[in-house]
Amino acid sequence: MIAMLREHASTLIVSALSALFAVTLILFTGILTAAIDPAVIEESGTFRAVLMMVALIFIVIALYVGAIVTANTFSTIIAGRTRTIALLRLVGASSARVRSRVAGEGLVAGLLGGVAGFGIAVALCAAVTVWGPQLGWLPEGRDYPLFDPLALVAVGIVALTTWAAAWTGSRRVGRVSPIAATGAAVELPAEQSRRRPARTVWATILLVSGAALLAIGIVLGLATPLALLISFVGGILSFTGIALGAHLIMPPLLRLSGRAFGRGPSGRLAVANAGRFPERSARSTIGLVIGVTLVTMFAVALASYETMTLQAFAHSPALRAGLSETLAVTTAVFTGLVGFSAVIAAVGLVNTLSLSVLQRTRELGLLRVLGFTGAQVRRMVLVESAQMTLTALGFGLLLGVFYGWAAAQSLLGSQAGLMAPTVPWPIIGGVAVFGLVLALVAAAAPARRAIRVSPVAALAAQ
Amino acid sequence: MEIHSSDMGLVARVAHLGKHYGTGPQRVTALDDVSIGIRRGQFTAIMGPSGSGKSTLMHVMAGLDTPSEGRVWLGDDEITHLGDAALTKLRRRRIGFVFQSFNLVPTLDVMGNLRLPFELDGRRPNPEEQHRIGALVESLGLANRLKHRPHELSGGQQQRVAIARALATQPDVIFADEPTGALDSRTGREVLGLLRSATRTGGQTIAMVTHDPGAASHADRILFLADGRIVSDREAMTAEEISETMLNLESVAAGAAA
Repeated sequence: MIAMLREHASTLIVSALSALFAVTLILFTGILTAAIDPAVIEESGTFRAVLMMVALIFIVIALYVGAIVTANTFSTIIAGRTRTIALLRLVGASSARVRSRVAGEGLVAGLLGGVAGFGIAVALCAAVTVWGPQLGWLPEGRDYPLFDPLALVAVGIVALTTWAAAWTGSRRVGRVSPIAATGAAVELPAEQSRRRPARTVWATILLVSGAALLAIGIVLGLATPLALLISFVGGILSFTGIALGAHLIMPPLLRLSGRAFGRGPSGRLAVANAGRFPERSARSTIGLVIGVTLVTMFAVALASYETMTLQAFAHSPALRAGLSETLAVTTAVFTGLVGFSAVIAAVGLVNTLSLSVLQRTRELGLLRVLGFTGAQVRRMVLVESAQMTLTALGFGLLLGVFYGWAAAQSLLGSQAGLMAPTVPWPIIGGVAVFGLVLALVAAAAPARRAIRVSPVAALAAQ
Repeated sequence: MEIHSSDMGLVARVAHLGKHYGTGPQRVTALDDVSIGIRRGQFTAIMGPSGSGKSTLMHVMAGLDTPSEGRVWLGDDEITHLGDAALTKLRRRRIGFVFQSFNLVPTLDVMGNLRLPFELDGRRPNPEEQHRIGALVESLGLANRLKHRPHELSGGQQQRVAIARALATQPDVIFADEPTGALDSRTGREVLGLLRSATRTGGQTIAMVTHDPGAASHADRILFLADGRIVSDREAMTAEEISETMLNLESVAAGAAA
């Protein structure tokens, strides 16, 4: 029971976070609509629709990242349960049955997490509507809605997404042979990195066409702001290509960054571990890449937009001041909204590392027998975590700066000409600090568990 | 005056060793007043039915586990009260291990596994050690497997790599825990032959835990354990003699339990 809870903790947290995020955004849309001046109430329908559209985009991003994390968690869980699954298969369970039971666990976790997130979100919004008017955040004497049927729909979608992600993540069940239950003590075969021609082709097509559209958008942007639309499509296509092709892109990046870390036996083993299941590493890092890219992109786009527009308004200090303030607020709101996806991705990364250390008990025992000190084992886990986090972070920052610049350039190139991106260092610094903290936090619990492994564990025949 | 193990020709020694788990009525005694030494340059087999305490004895002698009472020496150095860091260094430099399975680090290739004990010490093998590794690789037929990872090797090949790794550092003693347990009988005999010749021609001391009379028949000396005590200490025996001794042990144990 405890083990089960530990396995599903990340899925529970991720679905709770997703539901919390979605329900809060939906309820806030209603609260903000109620908060606007009744004098313009006729227009509030449109206002609400626009807010809802924006909210929807961020909810979809969060759900997408959450689904990747959950699918990844489940494939890690399956890898750890190989022997149990083989035993079930041995006594006659069909693989479809085993798989749907595993996915069922996902549905339950998603539902529980979703309901928890819903509860927290409602409490949060209730608190805001009670204390908001007193603190002057909201106008007084309005009737603020605390419920929206859409919120329930959101919880349902979170649960279903978790279910689907669990189903996707448990696809390896079909490849567990019943014979694995009898092989007394052979190392379980590694999760093979399969060649997926269709996926590779799609990723390449999306990436190339997206990049081409981006280039066209940037060039056309020197003539018209409408070029942003072309760049927007290019950005979505190329970024989807990157997410889809993570299994091609992340492993070489991890190998590259591994060179910087791979000194000494601890470092070399850590790097080898990070690259050991390329697909798993790719999946667990791509979520963080997406989160960091989005945060950086909005920050860079808005900062570049600011620089370019300030140039255009050079003659009007009043306008400049107003613009700066609006943009600062917008940046903060967007960073917060997108940052949530990064937090969900972070939960996933922490969890993958944790589970993979848990599944390596015998190997850690072997290292201790051969003469690894506790400190060397701890260093190994730390380096592994740092390497994965920092690689995802670095790649995300690079992509984010590029996409943000491309957006600003396409929109304002006609006014400002070709300009270098404006990099908002405080936000970039914040992201980097977030990454460092994440690397340490992600490693803390697994490292503690790793040094507790006794050398004798390697000799026990499980 | 303290008696030195080396004066007695011993590389590892325990005196009045006891190991208990749990307390009160749940207390289980794994080892009970065991005093024994492993002789230098010999291939010693530690035999006994499951639950006899043979693995626990090996774990304590190898510094993997601590005794509840009694004293443990490696060479002339008492290791009874050494801390984890000191025991780790000891394992790294002075003890070799071969297990039933899962001997090799899965992420390292064969050469990486062979060099690991040296790298853990923060150094590369010196020319002499380099030469020794090369000779081992050659004689164990691993020359064209150096770049292979463990999962690309057969069980017998993995076991040969583990033996090469254990021999490479020329440890005081190699502890082997059921080294043939996961192998077919022919490959098992090959592995036992390798261990034996490491003793004969290389002068390597080896202590092997096993419950297989066939495996123990390759040893120079056989220690029989039952219920946590040494019940017999014999020179080389045939597999048949060993089987008979074991059967007697079990009937004695069954009689004692009844």
